[in-house]
Amino acid sequence: MTATIERPFPRADGPAKATGQADYTGDLTAPGMAHGRFLVAGRAHARIRRLDVTAARTRPGVFAVITAADVPDRLYASSGFVADRPLFARNVVRYEGEVVAAVAAATPEAADAALRAIEIEYEDLPLVLDVERALQPGSPLVHENWAGYEKDGEIVAEGNMAARSTIVKGDATAALGAADVVVRERYVADMIHPVPIEPHAILAEWSGDRVTIHSSSQVPFAARTMVAETLEIPQHRVRVVVSHLGGGFGGKCDFHYEAHVAALARAARRPVRVVFTRREEFTMPDKVGHGMVVDLETGLSSDGRIVARRGRILLDCGAYAADSPVLGQIACMEAVGPYRIPHVDLDARLVYTNRVPSGSVRAPTGPQTCWAVEGHTDELAARVGLDPVEFRRRNLVTAGDEGPTRQLFEPNGALRALDEAARRIGWGSPLPAGESIGIAAGWWFSMPSASGAFVRIDADGRGRIVTGAQENGTGAVMALAMLAGDELGMAPEDFAIVYQDTDAGPYDTGSAGSQTTFNAGRAVVEAAREVRTKVIAAAAEMLEAAHADLELRDGAISVVGSPDRRVTIGAVATQVQDDGGLLLGAGSGTAPTKPEHDASACVGRLGFEAFASPTFFCQAARVKVDRATGVVRVLEVAAVNDIGRVLNPRGAAGQITGGVVQAIGTALTEGTVYGADGRQRNAALLDYKLPTAADAPTIDVGFIEAPAANGGPYGAKGVGEPPIVPTAGAIGNAIAAATGARVRRLPMTPERVWRAMREGSDGAADPGGPLAPAAASAGEPASGGAVPVGASAGNRR
Amino acid sequence: MAEPLQLTVDRQAYAVEVDPHRTLLRLLRDDLGITGPKEGCDDSECGACMVLVDDMPVNACSYLALQADGRTVTTVEGLGTAESLHPLQRAFLDAGGVQCGFCTPGMLISAAALLRSDPDPSEEAVRDALAGNLCRCTGYQPIFAAVHRAAAELRGEPAPTG
Ligand code: FES
Ligand code: FES
Repeated sequence: MTATIERPFPRADGPAKATGQADYTGDLTAPGMAHGRFLVAGRAHARIRRLDVTAARTRPGVFAVITAADVPDRLYASSGFVADRPLFARNVVRYEGEVVAAVAAATPEAADAALRAIEIEYEDLPLVLDVERALQPGSPLVHENWAGYEKDGEIVAEGNMAARSTIVKGDATAALGAADVVVRERYVADMIHPVPIEPHAILAEWSGDRVTIHSSSQVPFAARTMVAETLEIPQHRVRVVVSHLGGGFGGKCDFHYEAHVAALARAARRPVRVVFTRREEFTMPDKVGHGMVVDLETGLSSDGRIVARRGRILLDCGAYAADSPVLGQIACMEAVGPYRIPHVDLDARLVYTNRVPSGSVRAPTGPQTCWAVEGHTDELAARVGLDPVEFRRRNLVTAGDEGPTRQLFEPNGALRALDEAARRIGWGSPLPAGESIGIAAGWWFSMPSASGAFVRIDADGRGRIVTGAQENGTGAVMALAMLAGDELGMAPEDFAIVYQDTDAGPYDTGSAGSQTTFNAGRAVVEAAREVRTKVIAAAAEMLEAAHADLELRDGAISVVGSPDRRVTIGAVATQVQDDGGLLLGAGSGTAPTKPEHDASACVGRLGFEAFASPTFFCQAARVKVDRATGVVRVLEVAAVNDIGRVLNPRGAAGQITGGVVQAIGTALTEGTVYGADGRQRNAALLDYKLPTAADAPTIDVGFIEAPAANGGPYGAKGVGEPPIVPTAGAIGNAIAAATGARVRRLPMTPERVWRAMREGSDGAADPGGPLAPAAASAGEPASGGAVPVGASAGNRR
Repeated sequence: MAEPLQLTVDRQAYAVEVDPHRTLLRLLRDDLGITGPKEGCDDSECGACMVLVDDMPVNACSYLALQADGRTVTTVEGLGTAESLHPLQRAFLDAGGVQCGFCTPGMLISAAALLRSDPDPSEEAVRDALAGNLCRCTGYQPIFAAVHRAAAELRGEPAPTG
C-alpha cells in the first residue's frame, strides 16, 4: 500500500454539489412529465367500505388514478422476511400513511384536486398501539391473516408478534440466582425518524416495455427486484438510477414507492414524478427507528464483574415487517454490549402496531439499546461502588474473550477506546459548576455481502470505476477512487466513477449496514489488481525489465532504482490498445466470513448470531443541565472508535461528527409523538426537532487502529453506523451524574429530565419483578405456519 | 390573474408573469429551471431553499415571487462556478462541509450573508447565522471550520489551522 490511502482527497462529486449543479431526483424533469400524488389513509386502522375513483379520473388535467385494482393482487416481503404488505391498501388500512390511491396530473394543483375527488368510506377498527397490550391474549390483531403469510423459515411469529429472536448462552437463571448483586431496570425509547434533508423523490419513465426509475434510494438493486416482483415484470426490464442522494440514514433503504410510481406512469402513459412533502416523509415511508421497551436484569460479583444478563426487549414494528425481523437479533447482541458476560438470556419480540413501519434506520436498535445498557452499566457500577470507567475496564471484552454466542474476539480497541475517550474528555478532572460528564461504550458489526466492480484505464491515462455501490453522501463511493489509485499508483482524482445505476454496475447491497468500503472496497481492490497485473506485464515489455523490478507511482511505471526507465500509465494503456488489448479488470472480492460461533440455543437466527469484524467505540459527553427547566446542553463529545484500519480519515471523521449530532437529537429532542387516534402529532420539523448549528457541541474524534484480520480492504471495518450508537448513553449518564436522577425515557426531554429530578423517577424504572426465563415468556415459537419465501429470502441486512 | 415580475437572478435579468400565490422557490425551480436551491420542507424549517434577495437571506419556499419584483436574487448557482469556486465553496469542500450536499446550497447562502455583514465572525455568530439551516450529515463542525477558513481568506489572511 502506498501513501495514497489516509490522505485527504477532493471528492469527485464535490464541486457539482457546492455550486448547485448536482441534480437530485426531485430536480429531474422529463418531457410531458406528470405530477404524481398519493392518497393516504389518514387513519390508523380501518376497513375500506367503499372506494370510488371515477369522479377523480374525469377531472381536467388528470391522466391516471390507480388503486389496488390496477396492480397485481399480491403481498410482498420487501426484504425477504414476511410477505405482509400490498402496494396499495386492499380492504384494510393499517397505519395513517398507508397508500390507498395514486394520481398523475398535469400540475400538482390538479393532482391535489383529483385526490380530493376520490370517494372513500372507512369503518374504523380497534387500534393496536401499545406493544405490551398487543401481545396479550385477546388483543385486536394488526394482521388477521398473519399465520397465512409467506415468511422466511427462521421466523417465529404469533398473532401481533411479527418475529422473535433470542441470544442464549450458559445458564442465566442459575447465575443470576448465585450473583452477589442483581439490578433490574426498564428503559423505554420512543420511535425516531431518520430525517434526511432531501425528501423521497421518484421519477418513472417507460420506453416500450422497459421502465427507468429515478429514485432517491439507498438500495437501487433491492428496489429493482421488488418493482419486478410486485408489478410482475422481468427484472431486466427495470432500471433503477439514483441521482445525487440527499442523505438517507436508512430512511431510504428498502423498497419504497418505486413500483407505485412505475405503475402510475404506465397508466398515465407519460413520465411521472412524485416528490414527498415533509409531512409525508414523516408519516409514510416504512423506515423509522423502533420504539423500544428494554428490560434488563444483570447479576454481578461483589468485585464488579458481570456474571449474567437477562433481557426482554419489545420492538414496535409498526404496521408492516419490512426488514425489522432481523433487527431483534441485533438488539439482543447490543443488549449484551461489548462486555464479557458468561451467561446471557436475551429475548426480543417484534410487535405489529398501527404505526408507521419501522426498519433499519442508521444502526437499527443500536442507539436505543446502547442507551439502556449504558445507563444500566452506570447503575451497576454504582451498586458495587466502582467508578464507571473502572467498572467498564473490568468488563469490556479483550482478545480471546467469548461473545454472546461464543465468537472469539480478535485483538480489538475496546479498552483503549474507553481510556482514550476518558482522557480526551478529562475524566476525573474538576468541572465548572453545573457541568458533568458521562461515558458509554458500545459495539457494532461489519456486514459482509456481495459487491462487484469494473476498473479500466483508457488510452488517455485516466481511470474509470464502474460499481453498483450507492453514495449516500458520506463519500464512501467517492473513496473507492482512493483504493483503485493506491493499487495502480495513481491519484484518486485520476478516476471517474460510474455508480448507482442498476444497468451499469454489478449488484450491490446499497448504502446499508455501513458496508460500502467494507465490500465494494474489496471488489475495487480486486478489479484494480487485475489491471495492475496487465499494466506490469505490458510495461515490463516496454521497459525491457523484469516484472518484479517495476513500481507504480505518480501515474507512471518505473524500474526500481533507475527512475529514468519509466513510462506513463497512459502510454502503457495506449500501447496495450494498439496491440489489440485493453486495460480492464473486474472484481467481486470474497466476502469475509463470520467468526465461528454457537447459536444452537437461539431462535430467530436471521444472520446476526455473531458480529463479523466487530467495531468497538466509546464516547464521553460533557453536558450542562439547567436544574430549573430540565434543559440539557451538550458542550463536548469525545468520540473514539476502533473501526479497524482507517482508510479515509476525513470521511470517517465526517461520519462521526455527523453521527454524534444526529444522536444528540435521539438523546434529547427527537421522538415521535402519537395521539390516541394513532396519528403522529409532530410530523413537521418545527415539532420534531433536529439538532441545529446552535446545538452542536465540540466533537473530538479519535481512532484506535485495530485492523481486522478477516475484514474489509486492508483490515477496515464498517464506519457509518457506529458513531450514532453510544452518544445517548453517554449523555444519559452525564445527566444522571449532574442530577442524581436517572432518566429512563428516550428522548430525555426537558420535561422528562425535570420530572426525574423532582420525583427521582420518570415513571419507567423497574420492570416489576424478576424477568421470566426465555422458556416461560409469552410469545413462544409458533409451531408450523411458516412457509419459506422464495426469490428474495437471501436479501438481508 | 398572473402579474408581471421583473427580477435579476444570478446576474441574469428575467421578465415573467406569475400567479400572485407563487413562491419564489417555485418560480426559481419550476419556471426558471434554477434547481440549485432545494426544497426540504416547504415550511421555513430547513433552510435548504435559502437565497439572497438583495443582501438579505430568505427562505424562498415562504417568500412570494412578487416580493422579489425589481430585486436581485442570488442563489448558490450565482456564488461561483465549478471552475472558479467562491472561497466559501472551496472551504466547504476542503473542510469536509459537503457530504450529501442537500443542505449545502442553503448553508452557503447563509454563510455568504453572514460574511457580507460580518467579515470576522465569532464562533457564536457563525452558529447563530447557520441555525436556520439543518444539516443531517456533517454534525456542523466541518461547516463552522469552513466558514472561518473562507472568512480568513476573504480578509486576505492565512487560513486558520484545524
Ligand atoms: S424548503 Fe424552505 S425552509 Fe425548508
Ligand atoms: S451535507 Fe447532507 S444535509 Fe448537510
